[in-house]
Amino acid sequence: MPWSDKNGGGWKSGGGRGDGPWGQKPSGGGGPGGNQPPDIEEMLKKGQDKLKQAMPGGGMNKSFLFLVSAIALAAIAFFGFTVRVNPDEVGVVLRFGKFHDQLAPGLNFRYPYPIDKIYLPKVTRINRTSVGFRGGSSSRFGNSSGDVAKESLMLTGDENIVDVDFVVFWQVGNAKDFLFEIQNPVSTVKEVAESAMREIVGQNDIEPILTERRAKTELAVLDLMQKTLTQYKSGIRITQVQMQKVDPPGDVIGAFRDVQAARADQDRLKNESETYANRVIPEARGEAQKIAQEAQAYKEQTIAQAEGQADRFVKIYNEYAKAPEVTRKRMFLETMEKVLGRSEKIIIDNKGGGTGVVPYLPLNELTRKRGGGQ
Amino acid sequence: MKTFSAGLLVLLALVGALAYFSLFIVDQTQQAIVLEFGKTKKVIKDPGLKWKIPFVQTVQYFDKRILDLDTPAQEVIASDEKRLVVDSFARYKIVDPLLFFQTVRDERIARSRLGSILDSSLRRVLGTATLQDVVRDKRKDMMITLTNFVNQEAKSFGIEIIDVRIKRADLPAENSQAIYKRMQSERHREAAEFRARGQEEALRIRAEADRQVTILKAEATRDAQKIRGDGDAKRNEIFANAYGKDAGFFAFYRSMQAYENGLLADGTKLVISPDSEFFRYFNNPAGGASRR
Repeated sequence: MPWSDKNGGGWKSGGGRGDGPWGQKPSGGGGPGGNQPPDIEEMLKKGQDKLKQAMPGGGMNKSFLFLVSAIALAAIAFFGFTVRVNPDEVGVVLRFGKFHDQLAPGLNFRYPYPIDKIYLPKVTRINRTSVGFRGGSSSRFGNSSGDVAKESLMLTGDENIVDVDFVVFWQVGNAKDFLFEIQNPVSTVKEVAESAMREIVGQNDIEPILTERRAKTELAVLDLMQKTLTQYKSGIRITQVQMQKVDPPGDVIGAFRDVQAARADQDRLKNESETYANRVIPEARGEAQKIAQEAQAYKEQTIAQAEGQADRFVKIYNEYAKAPEVTRKRMFLETMEKVLGRSEKIIIDNKGGGTGVVPYLPLNELTRKRGGGQ
Repeated sequence: MKTFSAGLLVLLALVGALAYFSLFIVDQTQQAIVLEFGKTKKVIKDPGLKWKIPFVQTVQYFDKRILDLDTPAQEVIASDEKRLVVDSFARYKIVDPLLFFQTVRDERIARSRLGSILDSSLRRVLGTATLQDVVRDKRKDMMITLTNFVNQEAKSFGIEIIDVRIKRADLPAENSQAIYKRMQSERHREAAEFRARGQEEALRIRAEADRQVTILKAEATRDAQKIRGDGDAKRNEIFANAYGKDAGFFAFYRSMQAYENGLLADGTKLVISPDSEFFRYFNNPAGGASRR
């Protein structure tokens, strides 16, 4: 076991062949720490073979061996006593199993394996845990791609069922807690996420969950998850909860869409009738104006005509008053002249026979003519 | 020289072996108890490098972290007779490794014991609540109660329950179908209501518009009649003023106008006797002859 190698006594004596305990050791050092030094035994063997080829005489064998072992020692020292921490990682050092230190990114000193054990959690990486579906993104259509109904269907506060797919983004906030305080941080995130989402959804009615409470739900789930995970000392920081799909279950989604359509219909009917009102009322107003104007015109016209006629009468009367008899006769005659001048006339002297002519009047013809003329 | 180095080697090997058998590491995630022929000698809760007496003492390790307990979903009947499928999980910690070792020995057994405790607690706690309580109103309180319930029993195993959470509390599949139907009928009702409301509003708006149109026109007509009446009145007044000057002349004048306008149209046939005033001089230039 590694413990016996600690004094490293076997190194010098066994160095020539490399079949000593050291042959095994470096790989042990790489175990949980993550560093994997090259296989020393292999290196030595190769070196020796090369030497044999280069110097068949083997005169310088001893000093060469020394050189090779010095290089190998240096390599072991380098790989065994350093650790590389990548920029997205932090190095957590356990010395004899006990938390010792955290290492910043870069090349750090360490003791070899049995003394120091190094964990390199990726602390800057944002991890995602999806609930309700598997794969890259949630499909909006039915159960076709990776939807997990068992996870995504949940009861709402008003005893409806809603289909929620969501993603939780999280980060290692405290590497020490993350590594040493909880057994399964990743599965814990998922279970806490499911539980939190159901708790929040259960507190609300379906309608707001589907519509305006989405962002609030996300925040509430994030808060609840963070509280629970902090209680577990999990060292996990939830950065975001994102609801991918919040729909009624597939069986009833048609009915929900119909409600949306009905709402649109309601608006449409209202708009149509408003269009009608907006057209008809101004038209009526215009018509009212027209009636008023016509009446006004009639009034003005009537008055003007009356005034004209009255004026004329007054003027004629003034003349008449100067010579009433003559004017009256003249007017009579002039009028008769005009009337008779244009009319067909039959003059019958009634002196002799009384009503003798009447039978000859072609009354039928007269009326017929008038009827045809119209 | 040779015997010395051989001796050194042996010594080193011995030291190594001693170290190997007497030293042990308790990891950051672990706690341990040291047993001497089955008898507990030490309980180690801090991580680090520890020692024991080789061969005589053995070490038993236990996890110190928060551990998972996930039980399969089970059906619970709520107090309002509604059936629920409840899936819960717990997080626990071994706080007394000695007691833990004495009562349940290892995690596998602990999990099955805790699982049955959790199941029965779940039944007990949820059985007194209604579905509404479980889903909506008292979920949080119930999870706290559950945690306390399980904790009381788990204490005797050296276990502390950190948290019990209800992951899922859903209706069984056949009840879900009933809910779907109800949801559908609710939506249909809602949709019908929206459409009817739309109709109602449309009719109201149209009727109102029609009413306004009728009123607008009626009022306009009323005002128009007034205006016309004003005009007619004015006309009468004007005529009365003018014609009132000489009623006799007016009668004559107006008659003349009426003859002219009334008889002027084409096609008027007059049958006249020549002894009218017009023909006064027709037969007799001296006049007055036709007078009888």
